[in-house]
Amino acid sequence: VVTPGELVTSEVVWMRGHGMYSVGNKTYSSVVGTISRVNKLLSVSALRGRYVPEVGDHVVGRIVDVGPRNWRVDIGAKQAAVLMLGSVNLPGGVQRRKSDTDELNMRMFLKEGDLLNAEVQAIFTDGAASLHTRSLNYGKLRNGYFIAIPSSLVVRSKAHVYEMPGGVDILFGVNGYIWIRKHTISSAGEQGVPITRLAEEAGWEIYSDENEYVSAGIRETIARYAGSIRALEFCEVAMNETRICKAYEASLAYKSAGELLDNKIKRHIAEQALS
Amino acid sequence: MSSRLEIYSPEGLRVDGRRWNETRHFKCSINTHPVSSDGSSLVEQGNTKVICNVVGPKEPTQRSKLNTERATINVKIIVAPFSTLERRKRSQNDHRLQELCITLQHVFEKAIIAHLQARSQIDILLYVLSQDGGMLQACLNATTLALIDAGIPMYDYISASTAGMFDKEALLDLNRLEESAMPLLTIATVGKSNRIALLQMENKIQFEALEPMMAVALSGCHHIRDLMDQEIRRHGKSRLNQSRDQ
Repeated sequence: VVTPGELVTSEVVWMRGHGMYSVGNKTYSSVVGTISRVNKLLSVSALRGRYVPEVGDHVVGRIVDVGPRNWRVDIGAKQAAVLMLGSVNLPGGVQRRKSDTDELNMRMFLKEGDLLNAEVQAIFTDGAASLHTRSLNYGKLRNGYFIAIPSSLVVRSKAHVYEMPGGVDILFGVNGYIWIRKHTISSAGEQGVPITRLAEEAGWEIYSDENEYVSAGIRETIARYAGSIRALEFCEVAMNETRICKAYEASLAYKSAGELLDNKIKRHIAEQALS
Repeated sequence: MSSRLEIYSPEGLRVDGRRWNETRHFKCSINTHPVSSDGSSLVEQGNTKVICNVVGPKEPTQRSKLNTERATINVKIIVAPFSTLERRKRSQNDHRLQELCITLQHVFEKAIIAHLQARSQIDILLYVLSQDGGMLQACLNATTLALIDAGIPMYDYISASTAGMFDKEALLDLNRLEESAMPLLTIATVGKSNRIALLQMENKIQFEALEPMMAVALSGCHHIRDLMDQEIRRHGKSRLNQSRDQ
């Protein structure tokens, strides 16, 4: 572990990466973290910090502002991300031209407070992310419950949409924003819709604000998953699909999801998830 | 009357039994508020207790404050009415508090690597729970720890200490009683070096008295820096062990 101001190296042969600064020939660490060496690149990976967006990350975000031809989205990073009007699916087809009415009607698609999932398309030079929702598995979120955890506890994996036992889907954003929702076999299709059919499939429903009916049993299940995730967060356990599954199974031992708020029970669930 | 309490006895003991070069009991902890802020700390120097919460870097709340080259720092200090001997409610527009906020802002603008956080805002909130001398000193130390806990890149620790001069004797780390009896000097250094980040003195002293006071205060700053570094390393190691087991 290195701390800010600690001398890391005074050799010039190393390339300096994140988490360090140099004065003359000497390189000092600027954060609390561990030194990592990849070939000639030396960097300090911080133990704590806000989410840093990278190209290709699947994130969940909340609209905070509607601007001219773009939206600003809070993804829990140092700056709000930008979602351009040209990066969303406009109802009516993929090849549809953007018209002036689209600009004026932006609030009809996404307004302040809406949640959506998107992918990071590019990073601006100042570090802000640019998102896109150009696929039917991205877009406005419905029928679920939002929970936020520190982004350092998220294990990056290939897929971030988990279909969990109990009729519940979990959208596990890399930025630590999580959406737990009722599983829907959506008619607009999720994976496997060929791009040529997007024109017929993308109707106005993708921007609807109406939630479907969610039964009491599913609500209880969603509450249990949320409680299990909070238990893992409390014990600072990094999370992926298998661990959340095990935590949920451990939580079934308790009669109601409300019991999962107790700290002792949280520790017990985290132990079960790690075993 | 003051004759009961000897500020500095002939045997070399102060009112609380310390020698001239001993600091008060220093205790600190970080990540005390994991939910409400990105970085937090609690610093106790003797009976002076300060909590610091850091939120950021985040989008600036006001567009006018957006600085394209560096981060903007906002400091807010709230002094609890129960922090002093007599209960006293301090208004937010208190002249002294505003001055303190601006001082801290200037110090930390230089201490963080600001060009890496362009276009963002860092909010520093300090809560003074108990005052027994050395409020500025404790606020500086608490802010350093909270900024490090938040993972904001910094050049080095900013550690602060106070010193006073009583009858040609330089004393380290004054408490409230001593502060009212002698001139007070607050110094903050950058890490282990002797580079000074802040120097504040509001009384009049002879010029020759300045050097011994500064020497004593600098050694106090380095001592505090080592104690803070110990706690940061301990916390870092325990976090690393927790994530390694998984």
